[in-house]
Amino acid sequence: MDLTRDEELLLSEGTPAERMSMKILATLGSVYGADRLIPITGAHISGASPKTLGDAGVEFLEEFATTAKVRVRTTVNPTGMDPDRWRELGVPESMIQTQERIVRAYASMGVEPTFSCTPYQVGHRPKRGEHLAWAESSAVVFANAVLGARTNREGGPSALAAAVVGRTPNFGLHVEENRRATHAFDIRIPMRGYRWSLLGLHVGEIVGDGVPYLRGFTGTEDELKTFGAALASAGAVGMFHVEGLTPEWRQAHAEGLPPLTVTEADLLATRDRYSTDGVPEAIGLGSPQLSADELRAVADLLDRYRPRPRVFAFTNRTAKAEAADAARRIEALGHVVLVDTCLEVSPMELWARTTATPSGKGAIYLPTLCGQRVVLDDLEELMRRFS
Amino acid sequence: MILPGRRIVEGRAEGSILVSERALSLLGGVDPKTGEIRDPESAIRGERVAGRILAVPHAKGSTVGSYVLYGLRKSDVAPAAIVAGRAETILAVGAVLAGVPMVDGVPTDLLRTGDRAVVDATGGAIEMPLVRERPVVSSFLEREGRILVVRRSEEVGSFQGKWSGISGFLEGSENPEDRALREIEEETGLTEVALLARGSAVLSRGGDTVYRIHPFRFHAPRGDVRLDWENVEYRWVDPAEIPGLDGVPKLVAVYRATLP
Repeated sequence: MDLTRDEELLLSEGTPAERMSMKILATLGSVYGADRLIPITGAHISGASPKTLGDAGVEFLEEFATTAKVRVRTTVNPTGMDPDRWRELGVPESMIQTQERIVRAYASMGVEPTFSCTPYQVGHRPKRGEHLAWAESSAVVFANAVLGARTNREGGPSALAAAVVGRTPNFGLHVEENRRATHAFDIRIPMRGYRWSLLGLHVGEIVGDGVPYLRGFTGTEDELKTFGAALASAGAVGMFHVEGLTPEWRQAHAEGLPPLTVTEADLLATRDRYSTDGVPEAIGLGSPQLSADELRAVADLLDRYRPRPRVFAFTNRTAKAEAADAARRIEALGHVVLVDTCLEVSPMELWARTTATPSGKGAIYLPTLCGQRVVLDDLEELMRRFS
Repeated sequence: MILPGRRIVEGRAEGSILVSERALSLLGGVDPKTGEIRDPESAIRGERVAGRILAVPHAKGSTVGSYVLYGLRKSDVAPAAIVAGRAETILAVGAVLAGVPMVDGVPTDLLRTGDRAVVDATGGAIEMPLVRERPVVSSFLEREGRILVVRRSEEVGSFQGKWSGISGFLEGSENPEDRALREIEEETGLTEVALLARGSAVLSRGGDTVYRIHPFRFHAPRGDVRLDWENVEYRWVDPAEIPGLDGVPKLVAVYRATLP
């Protein structure tokens, strides 16, 4: 890969963190056959909770932060806990101390303390054609598919390196032809509720690291968010197209692809692979974090049903402020609304052994990250069944 | 023998190889303080990576796994080098963070735990002084859609009792196709054969030897098979039966290499 003079200079004369960042980008560029580094307008970093970072990651961040400053707008993923609620929820103080070290390290580098896996819903919303270095697979797929921005599925360290250099290697989804469809799907069933999660899981398992092209539905931003998160968790997917809906569907070149049909039976079979028939001690919502609209919908459902399991609604400060009334209604019923964290990086294992969720992404990560048995079902159905 | 690879992180290291046959998850799979493999799904659980050459097809799991390699370096228990089948972000970034020499593009199934090796990541190669390379030919004869396989006798030097194509060592600078024809005549008595395809070489490990197998497929329209001492049994099988045979290592890969 060719480096410019400025890039060579950063590699040899930069601060220790800058030299390491350049070396990471140059190495990844040659691993993946990039021709050069390209400027980015924003970065989003994963790895902000003790659970996802591990002790080694925390030590790395602290040392790296002493000589690092981000050069582009940079946001960061959820932490492991709502900083105002940990005591009442029985979170150990040692975890909070580790969390504070992580928060301080990111702040000192100039990273915005958004602590959200939905940066595009908290004001970091790139425009079509912008190049980014985003980690957090659900945000990557949203940025590419729904916003038409361009980012690879970065890891936490590579997104951090790109933020410090302000550049990323030019390969993969930064390049037009790699954004074309590899598989086509005809959706013959009405899309609603948790079917978005099931469709994401089903399609993700089939396409692996391909680019699916889907026909036969339309959806809201939050529905596409839910679909994309499940898609990116079940497969290594970074991009999808929906005919007539997403901004690049006309450039997807899906014409010659033999379409696979998705039926109700496919989705139920998918549900059965991820769901157990246990009785949940908690209903976990917000993987990805709930938007203001989704918080209001949860509050409305709780007007009609009185579920016995406690509802844990994970969101960000932006959505909670916008839907403050809904958040109050949810909490008035004894449920919790948590900010700065999300369903699977929080210590759910302190609060439940079986968690019910309508989130496909949650169904994939709750068993490994939180040791949970998972009941995957539609939210309204869960509230009705466990009332 | 020397296996070529691609430089990922420069440097040179010498040591004993630790092979993970399957992809390894670093976060949660390797203890960053001790270097002990903890992944419950790993066949090398309990082994330690410190000072060894870690050979792994690729990493899997969380991208934050790269930080584990940094932690190993900080605790002075990092591997001496990494040899990967395919570099991906987790291992490549981890090797940069930890300053561990790394190459990729190496078929890690040719390596064995305990092999001594010199990794020259700068030059892009791994040398195993105690492993020798031997070139062989292996031919499949085809008749009316069926494929001839033979079962090796107890008298041959390797893989006794296993099903195989018609095989033999290549001597000196001999032309592989000439050797293949000679082996066919010796081991089956068939002389009326016509070349259909030759595939690119397949490497296979057996003991301290890596066999460089040159695959061939010939049309053998007629004539009775007469075995010599090297084989005890033959069958004309449907190609779909080959994966089910108790065969020599890489039998299926060698056959497939001859297909278009």
